Amino acid sequence: MPEIIVDGRRLRCDEGETILDVCGRNKIKVPTLCYHEAVESWGGCRLCMVEISHPKWPGWKDWVTACLYPVRDGLVVGTGTPRVRRLRATVLDLLLARCPNSDVIRSLAAEYGIEETSYQPREDGDNCILCGLCVRVCAEVIGANAIGTAGRGTSKEISEPLKEPPADCIGCAACAYVCPTNVIMVLQSRTQRIIWDRSFDMVVCKQCGKSHITVAQRDWLVKRNDLPADYYDLCDECKRKVVANTQKNLASMKYPGEDDLFDIDYI
Amino acid sequence: MTLTGASVISTVDQICSNYPAKESSLIEILHDISAEFRYLPADALRRVSENLGVPISRIYGVATFYKGFSLKPRGKKLIRVCEGTACHVRGADRNIDEIERLLGIHPGETSSDLEYTLEVVSCVGACAMAPVVVVNDKYYRNASPSDMRRIAGMGGDADEDKDEGGDE
Amino acid sequence: MRLETVKDLEKRRKQAIKNKESVPNTILVCGGTGCLASGSAAVADEFSKQLKKHGIDTKVQLQVKRTGCHGFCERGPIVTFVPSGILYQKVKPAHVEEIVEKTVKNGEIVKKLVYRDPSTKQYVEQYSEIPFYKHQTRIALRNTGQMDPTSIDDYLARGGFKGLAKALDMKPEAVLDEIEKSGLRGRGGGGFPTARKWRSAINAPGEKKYVICNGDGGAPGALMDRSIMEGDPFDVLEGMIIGAWAIGSDEGYIYVRQEYPLAVVHLRKAIETLREVGLLGRNILGSGLNFDITIARGGGAFVCGESSALMMSVAGKVGEPRAKYIHSTERGLYDLPTVLNNVETWVNVPVIIENGGERFAQCGTEKSKGTKVFALIGRVNNTGLVEVPMGVTLRDLIFNIGGGIQRNREFKAVQTGGPSGGCIPKELLDLPVDFDRLTEQGSMMGSGGMIVMDERTCMVDVARYFLNFLMEESCGKCVPCREGLRQLKGLYDRIVEGYGTMEDLKKIEWLAEDVRIASLCALGKSAPNPVLSTIRFFRDEYEEHINLKRCRAGVCKALTKLVIKDNCIACGKCIKVCATDAITGEKKKVHVLDQGKCIVCGSCVEICPVDAVQVEPASKAVEVPS
Repeated sequence: MPEIIVDGRRLRCDEGETILDVCGRNKIKVPTLCYHEAVESWGGCRLCMVEISHPKWPGWKDWVTACLYPVRDGLVVGTGTPRVRRLRATVLDLLLARCPNSDVIRSLAAEYGIEETSYQPREDGDNCILCGLCVRVCAEVIGANAIGTAGRGTSKEISEPLKEPPADCIGCAACAYVCPTNVIMVLQSRTQRIIWDRSFDMVVCKQCGKSHITVAQRDWLVKRNDLPADYYDLCDECKRKVVANTQKNLASMKYPGEDDLFDIDYI
Repeated sequence: MTLTGASVISTVDQICSNYPAKESSLIEILHDISAEFRYLPADALRRVSENLGVPISRIYGVATFYKGFSLKPRGKKLIRVCEGTACHVRGADRNIDEIERLLGIHPGETSSDLEYTLEVVSCVGACAMAPVVVVNDKYYRNASPSDMRRIAGMGGDADEDKDEGGDE
Repeated sequence: MRLETVKDLEKRRKQAIKNKESVPNTILVCGGTGCLASGSAAVADEFSKQLKKHGIDTKVQLQVKRTGCHGFCERGPIVTFVPSGILYQKVKPAHVEEIVEKTVKNGEIVKKLVYRDPSTKQYVEQYSEIPFYKHQTRIALRNTGQMDPTSIDDYLARGGFKGLAKALDMKPEAVLDEIEKSGLRGRGGGGFPTARKWRSAINAPGEKKYVICNGDGGAPGALMDRSIMEGDPFDVLEGMIIGAWAIGSDEGYIYVRQEYPLAVVHLRKAIETLREVGLLGRNILGSGLNFDITIARGGGAFVCGESSALMMSVAGKVGEPRAKYIHSTERGLYDLPTVLNNVETWVNVPVIIENGGERFAQCGTEKSKGTKVFALIGRVNNTGLVEVPMGVTLRDLIFNIGGGIQRNREFKAVQTGGPSGGCIPKELLDLPVDFDRLTEQGSMMGSGGMIVMDERTCMVDVARYFLNFLMEESCGKCVPCREGLRQLKGLYDRIVEGYGTMEDLKKIEWLAEDVRIASLCALGKSAPNPVLSTIRFFRDEYEEHINLKRCRAGVCKALTKLVIKDNCIACGKCIKVCATDAITGEKKKVHVLDQGKCIVCGSCVEICPVDAVQVEPASKAVEVPS
C-alpha cells in the first residue's frame, strides 16, 4: 500500500491511483477544468499541476498533472507551492486571453490574482476552452461519437463532422451538461430540443406530461441496453413513484406466517 | 470540381480493400484517396467511416489534423515552398511573399481556376539546396524570388539553369 | 529464393561479391533527393546512353548505379568512380559525353568537374581526400552513396546481414548485453540509453511487444533520416530485426514522414525483397524468430516525431501526445510494450553486434559513445551530411569540415537541435558536441541539425521563426503550448515590426519559463529553448530592436532599408534578381534602388559580388543620445 505526503499530510493510497484521486478522497482541493470522473483523464488544461519530489532523489523536483500522475510510495506532493500557483496563474491568464467573456474563467483567474489578461485577448471567439470533455463524454459515456475535434494547434476546434449537423447525435445534451464554460447551446421546449443545429422530438411522460428525454436517445438506450420498448414511457421521477407505491403495497401485504412488519418510509 | 457519388464510392471501396478493415488503416487509406482524387471528398470520408466502422467524427478529426490532406479540391500544380530552417535562413519567406503576389492566393489556398494550390511545408529534407520549392514532383533548388514566375510555370525566362555546372 | 539458414545467406553473399568483382568498374550516380532535385536522374540516363554509344558493355566492363544520398548535396549531382575513387561534382547531362570519352576510356580527368577547396583553391580529385569526407567516420552512413539502395546483393556484398546472422546465433540477453556495452544512446534527440529502453520493454509484462522505427525526421534541417532511409534501407530493417530478436517482438512499424516519398519507395522495395528471401516473416534463418514490418506513412505533422504522438498516428488517430508518466516501454502502441528508436539508432545496431559493443565504445566521449550524423546547413560553404565521432568541437565541424562561412562573412551563431534546440554563439565554438555538453548551455544535440548563421541573420527573427513553426505544428491539446506559443509569437511580432517594449521582453521571458514547465510534451517543453537561448546570448539585438528600432542584420523588413553604395561595379546582377524591378542602372554607373518599389527581400544583398548593397535602419530608427 503506497503512502504519499501531500502538503505535509501522510496519506494512504491504493496501487494505480492518481494524485488527484488521493486528494479527492481526502478533501484536498486541486482545481481542474478538463477533468471529470465519468471519463478518462486528459491532462490538457494543466490546471491541476502539482509539485512533486522524492526523498530517494534529493534535489529533484518536477511539476506534473495530478489527474494523471500515478502515486508511488514516498512521493512528496505540494499542491499550493509558489511555483504551482504561478503555473496555474499563467494557465488561467492564457485562458482569459482566449475567452475574455467567460465568467467561469474570469472568476477562476481572479482567485489567482488575475483581473485582466496580461496577453492579447482573442477577438470574436466563443468561450470554448478546448477541454475536450464534450467529445470524451459523447465517446466514452454515451458511445455516440457524434462530435469530435477538427484541425490542430491554434485553429483546433470542437466540431460537427464535415461541419454538418451531426448525424450520430441523439440529443442527450450530455456534452452541454459537462461543459465547464457553458458553451454548447441547447434550446428546449416541451416537445422539442435543438442542439448542434439539429432538432429532436421529445418523449413526453405518460404520467406527468414532462418531456424528459429525446426520442432518439430513448431509441438508442433501448437498443443498446436491450430494454423493453416502453421503458422510458415514464420519466425518472414518475418511475420512482411507481416503484415506491409498489413497495408500499408489497409492504402492507401480509404473508402467511409473517408476523413482523417493517415500516418503510417513502419520500 | 467537387467529386461525389458512385464513382467516388467504388474507388474508395477498392482502396479500402487493400487494407485490413481497422482504424489503424485510416491514414494509409486517406493517402491513397488523396493520390487518386487530389483531395478528400466528403463522400469518400463517409464511405471510409462505413467500411472501417470508425465514427465519422473521428475520421474528420484525423483528416483535418494532418496537413498532408486537403478537404478542398487542389489545383493542378501543387506548389510547395519549403520553410524549413535552412530554407528560412536562406530567405524562403521572400519566395513565399513573391509567389503570393504572383498567384494572388495565400498559403493553403487554391486559385479559383484550380490551376494552382500554394502550400508552405516545413521540411522536405533537401536542406543543402535551400531555398527549395517543389511543384508536384519537381524540386527546384536555390530558388529566389525572381525564379518564382518560371517555377510557377507562368512564363518568364526559358528554363535556364542558374548553375552552369562544374567549378570555374 | 528463400534463405533458410545462415549457410544460404553466406552462399548468396559469396555470389554477390563474385558478381560485383566480375564487373571491374562502376560509376555511382547519386540518386538522393538532393541530387535528384539537381537533375541527377537525367545524368544517370545520359551515362547509360553515352556508354552504349561508345560501345561499352555495362554488364561486363562497367556498370552504372544510382545510389542513395552522399550527403554533399550542395555539390550535386555527384558522380563517383569505383575503383579509381574519383569524384565529380555538379555534373550535368551535357558533361557526360566528355566524361565517358576522357575519364572512362582514357583515365583522364575533367578538371572543371573536380572539387575545388574554396579556401586553398586546390583541386582534389579523390573522394576520400576531400576534406568534407576525409574528416568523417562513416558508420551510420557507411553504405549510403556506395550502393544501389534497393539491391540486396549490393548490401550483402558490402557485409550486410552479418550482424543479423550473428545476433540470431546469440541468446537475446547476449544481444542486449552488447548494446549495453556499446553505450549506444538514442540518436533522435532524447539520447536515452538504448539498452535501458530495450530492457524495460523486455521486463514489461505480456507477450505482445512492438518495435518501431521513428523515420519522421520532422525537425527542419534534419535530413539525415531521409538520407539513411533512402540510401540504406536494408540497414534500418536489419537493425529492427535484431531488436525484435532481443526484445521478443513479432511486429514492427517504420513511421515515415509523408514528405519523403523516395524513402517510402525504397523501404517498400527493401521490405518486399526481405519477405521474398525469408529475412522477414516466419522462422527467420531458422532461429524461430517470426517478425514482419509494415510502413506507416505520416500524415503531415511534426508533432508525430514525438513518440507517443507517433504511436497514436500509427493507430490511425490524431497525433496527440500523452503524458509520459508511464513509459511507452510499458504501455505504448495500443497500450502494449513498445520499443521506439530513431532511424540512426537502428542502423548502428548491426554494426554493434557484428563488431562487438566494446569496439563501438572506443569511439566518442565518456558518456556519448559512437558517432553522430550532423546536417551541416545554412551559411556554411560545404553543406550536407557529416558523420563524426562524438566529441568533435563545433569549430571543427563548421570550419574544418564545413569549410567556414560562405562569402567569408562572420560567424554569428549555430542553431543545434532544430526548433527544440538553442543557439550557440562564437564564444562557445570550442564546445565538444555530444549529448550533454550542448544541453548544459541551454541547447541540445537533438537529431543533429546544425544551422550555421552569419551576420546577415537576425537572432530575433530566428527565435520568431521557430516559434511560428512550433505554433503551427502544435497539436493543440494543452493550454500552455497552444495558447502560450501563440502569445509568444504575438509579442515577437510587435518587436520585429518596431512596436516592441521592454515590458514585452519581460513577458516573453516569464511566459517562456512557464511554457517550459507546464507543457504536456517535448514540443511545448522545448519551444522556449530558441527563445531563451537567443535572449541569453544576443540580448543586445533584442534591445536594439526595441529601443532603437533597428535590426542590425537587416532582416526585419519594417526596420530595414536597402541602399546601394558607391562601390557598385554596375554588373547588373541585382537588377536581374529584383522581383519588383526596383533597381535600375546603366553600365558603368552606380545602380539606383527605388525605395518605393523595394520590398526589402534582400536578394540584391545576397547576389552583389562586392557587397555594395548595404542594410540601414529604416526611417523608424531612433538615435540614442550618447
